[in-house]
Amino acid sequence: MNEFLFTQVLTELEDAVGRENCSTRVIDKVTHSVDYFWLSRMWADRGREMPQADFVVSPKDAKEVSKVLKIANYYKIPVTTWGGGGGTQGGAIPVCGGILLDTKRMNQIYDFNEKGMYIECGAGAIYKHIEWAANERGYSTMHFPSSLTCSTVGGFLAHRGIGVVSTKYGKIDDMVLQMEVVLPNGDIIYTSSAPKHAAGPDLNQIFIGSEGTLGIITKAQIRIYVQPEVRRFRGFLFKNMTAAFDASRELLQIFKPSVMRLYDEAETASLIKKIVGVAKPGAFMNIAYEGKKELVDVEEKILLDIFNKYGAEDLGSEYGEKWWDEKITFFYPGHMMDLPQMFGTMDTIAPYDKIEKIYWEMKKAIETNFPNIKFIAHFSHWYEWGCMIYDRFICDNPPQDPVEAMRLHNQVWNVGVRTAIANGGVVNDHHGVGIKLGRLMKEQYGPAMQVFEGLKKQLDPNGIMNPFKLGL
Amino acid sequence: MNISEKAKQQVESCRFCWMCRHVCPIGNADGQERNNARARALMISYVLRGTEKLEDAADNIYECTLCGACTNNCKTGWDPKIFISEVRTELVLSGKAPSYIKALLKRYFDKKTIFNGEPADIYGRSEGKDTLFHFGLSAVYNDQETVKKALSLLKNVSTNKEAEDSGYILYFLTGKTKETVEQAEKCAKELNKYKEVVVYNPVELSFMLHQFKEWGIEIKAKLVSFNEKLLELKLPVKKGNKEYTLQDNYAATRELDDLESGRKLIELVGVNKEMLLIHKEANMAGNLIMNEYMHDKMMDVARNRWNNAINMGCKTIVTTNPDEHVMLKKTAPEGYRVITIEEMLIENM
Repeated sequence: MNEFLFTQVLTELEDAVGRENCSTRVIDKVTHSVDYFWLSRMWADRGREMPQADFVVSPKDAKEVSKVLKIANYYKIPVTTWGGGGGTQGGAIPVCGGILLDTKRMNQIYDFNEKGMYIECGAGAIYKHIEWAANERGYSTMHFPSSLTCSTVGGFLAHRGIGVVSTKYGKIDDMVLQMEVVLPNGDIIYTSSAPKHAAGPDLNQIFIGSEGTLGIITKAQIRIYVQPEVRRFRGFLFKNMTAAFDASRELLQIFKPSVMRLYDEAETASLIKKIVGVAKPGAFMNIAYEGKKELVDVEEKILLDIFNKYGAEDLGSEYGEKWWDEKITFFYPGHMMDLPQMFGTMDTIAPYDKIEKIYWEMKKAIETNFPNIKFIAHFSHWYEWGCMIYDRFICDNPPQDPVEAMRLHNQVWNVGVRTAIANGGVVNDHHGVGIKLGRLMKEQYGPAMQVFEGLKKQLDPNGIMNPFKLGL
Repeated sequence: MNISEKAKQQVESCRFCWMCRHVCPIGNADGQERNNARARALMISYVLRGTEKLEDAADNIYECTLCGACTNNCKTGWDPKIFISEVRTELVLSGKAPSYIKALLKRYFDKKTIFNGEPADIYGRSEGKDTLFHFGLSAVYNDQETVKKALSLLKNVSTNKEAEDSGYILYFLTGKTKETVEQAEKCAKELNKYKEVVVYNPVELSFMLHQFKEWGIEIKAKLVSFNEKLLELKLPVKKGNKEYTLQDNYAATRELDDLESGRKLIELVGVNKEMLLIHKEANMAGNLIMNEYMHDKMMDVARNRWNNAINMGCKTIVTTNPDEHVMLKKTAPEGYRVITIEEMLIENM
């Protein structure tokens, strides 16, 4: 874009959001160019510049977002939405430059509705702040991902996030009532006033997980829950994972614990040993169950009976409590994988009839094709019908050359995710797709992809919204 | 760029970590991505690699309050304050500091303060030659009336204008420079004329206890916090049932490990009503140095803290730090009030 036109666009954006909320400063462009995606961090680590936006705007509400999108559509400028930048899939990186729309000024709490059991807030609110607001009145949002402190409400909605107590309280797509969304043409729309209805397909579920490719979520009603009277933990050690799957499936037909985390033998022997202190061989499983004490007493008895039947060693409550206290510590620098290592989480999900096979096939595929890469996993979000694998690969000595490092990284992902898909898994469970996995969406969905492509064509005919993300 | 290996280590550790984003009072006030430890570290790591220019980081480096919320939050123990302070030194020494910082420094070297107006009329008092009451420049220039009230509670103490500038303002603006250390030495010389120094501002007390020591500046006088002194005095206060909410000062809690003295004083006269985010997790509520160059943002920082109080129904906030007192007072919503800890005691005598 020539300087004259650039300045013209700049002044229009300044008019839309206020001059102080429209930046072309280096500091703002740099800090929005690297997200939590390993490739972006590696690129920066090697002293290479990541693609930067030309304009960084921080609108305060849907009206200002609408103005920005109208300008962007007129000039056909790409718009990438950025919440906290804590995503692992490169979804927030402005790969085509253009406008970077940061949502964090849209952080107001508009309504704390105890009767409706929700908080209505701007999508740019940091989720931990919403949790604090709930805590101040004796409630909780019950959404506790490791990125709770750094990510926004809109960010979690945009990539279909999940927290550690999901088995009882649900995924982010279960935790939202009505949403306000700005369409690419600038129209401000509202999804239905309740998420369960028979008024056609659920608009919420079209925009949740759309990663800024179909519109921008600007406001959401987030559910709140009463705090449990008791939250108890129990650690178990299974001889193998098969027994743990069988025991867990049986348990989930009776009641839903809040936390269920099963670690494979490799992760039990590494991370769990280091942080929680379990030093025995086997597959460690941590269970939390919570609510009214009388009910929890009954649940505890059922849990112990079932897990005992499958030969689990009862490790008591200490390991589980320690894990709860340290659940976010795992993600601080020095406690988890970090550069120069190459690593990634190829999380997938499937019913119980497929999940264990997927695990073994993915492990075999990664370890066979890449002998220098470790594969560890845990299973951390469970349903009556199946669960997800949080499987990670770790390469201690990736190529120093950033191009070669990217090549190897993408090969590993191709092998891992294609193995998951071939065995009945899906591209991703809760980190989203971004630019990292976009190419694999068509392989997942086949002709079904045209549904997404049709939505994209109708809503964003100029293709300005977060280009090259989600395979759209 | 010339920063220490220790500072570089913090930069490399923080540049890709977002875990403390939620506690940065500035980022929370303005919603800007650049205002958290990872953003600053990322930018400085690029400068260290030669990809970006130091001057492009300058404004952002001065948007940090050095309150240590990020440091306190870090489970690994990294301390972003270290590199931020060293980069400030580098910016000042290389002439690349923002123009408003240069202007403040000029004012400081011309007037011996960065604040406008005159200091509180408290000097010339030498009732107790053994004990000095040290207020610090922030308090004497910005909170004159409460300084006088604080002084009224302490008998047999001296005041000393020459001792008020500990060097903290220079440290905040320039890091550890020759001038900062010289000012700290001048202050220590004055403090050492007394057996005991009661330090009003926890930020100044922490600075004296930690930085002076690190720089090899000896303080022979016994340093006592104002709260500690108030507890020792056993003032003739009456216990009632009024509710007071302590604004934990970041330096008192995070740097001096004082979690209880303010609460003990509240318990002497009323009922301690807590808001969310207390002790070491407290949201800081104001910085008068930054108020000189980014007033609007400081007002938003204070308003954010008021929101915590409002949400918990805390009507009266009690402060132990003049910066937070002044900023909370400027932003107090209708029906809410902020008083200093000495004002709380006085209203219950």
